[in-house]
Amino acid sequence: MSVDDAVIRDGAPGPETELVRRARQGDRGARDELVFRHRRQVYFLALQLLGNQDDALDVSQDAMLRFFANLHRFDAERPVRPWLFRIVRNLALDLFRRRKVRQAESLDAFDDEDGEKPRLDPPDPSVDLDRDLQQSQLRRRLFAALAKLTPMQREIVVLRDYQDLSYQEIAEMLEIPLGTVMSRLHGARQRLRLLVEGDLKALAG
Amino acid sequence: MAAPANPQSGRTPLDEVLLSGYLDGTLSQLDAQRVRLGLESDAVLLQSFRELRLLREAALSTRFAAPAEIDWPELPQSLPSRYSRLAGWLLVVGWALLLLVIGIGELMSGRHGWLELVLFLAMPGGLVLLFFSVLLDRIKSLKTDRYCGVER
Repeated sequence: MSVDDAVIRDGAPGPETELVRRARQGDRGARDELVFRHRRQVYFLALQLLGNQDDALDVSQDAMLRFFANLHRFDAERPVRPWLFRIVRNLALDLFRRRKVRQAESLDAFDDEDGEKPRLDPPDPSVDLDRDLQQSQLRRRLFAALAKLTPMQREIVVLRDYQDLSYQEIAEMLEIPLGTVMSRLHGARQRLRLLVEGDLKALAG
Repeated sequence: MAAPANPQSGRTPLDEVLLSGYLDGTLSQLDAQRVRLGLESDAVLLQSFRELRLLREAALSTRFAAPAEIDWPELPQSLPSRYSRLAGWLLVVGWALLLLVIGIGELMSGRHGWLELVLFLAMPGGLVLLFFSVLLDRIKSLKTDRYCGVER
């Protein structure tokens, strides 16, 4: 399920709105359900922004805490995820400001089951193994290259290309005009392109 | 958004920023048409576009492993409870250090027997050693961090 799908689903009046209301009244079950629904996506965003699993766990936990601490100010009719994403983004920026985050990208950060690591026994015999390997390598190098971007460049690439948010959602989250989203995103992508140039040429050629 | 007209050719060169907009499907029909024409006539631009598309596809298809169920930190019920927990840890560490310093002082004074001192020092000493080992691991992992030199 893409983030867009999730936002649409979460935005629909129904279980999510009701859950927020119940959580606000102190319902422990509703709080647990909200945590369970969103913690993975919150963690992934933190991981993509910070590149470090320990920091990502800390930030995702803090984000959940702040969400619940400010639940009385949150409009239950609105979708939860954009609000949570904004908290994660702010916490990640705080962390950058407090200290230079050391990027400890680990192979363990990737999901083995979804083709990140090379498949030795592909289900489809027509799969081009060389290309598969090249793509896998590109994904790893690309993720590592995020560490070399400025925090501002990294967040926009993460929000658009990893989280698949729309320009409108990004503009709202970062409080910048739509045109700035496009130009900032393009600048960040060009920088990434240079950083993984070799892998791109191999695949594009 | 468009770049200034090229006085020699009379054509308006394409602003490369539009490539990202085109890739993301956010351009107006007019701008999208301009990009299409640019891609048809400019091999360098086409190569840039292909590479940008590969970048986006690679990012979108990256899958990350979620922490195992056991690794999710237990969520304290509120910020005060979290700060209480932090204060608790600080108290324990402070207590252990204080006890250790006093114990070592007593050891140096020679007024107590070894068994007495071991009973007195074992607990705080053990705690301090445990914290020290965690600290050493943290320092070691920082030193071996491949991206330690990356400045932002």
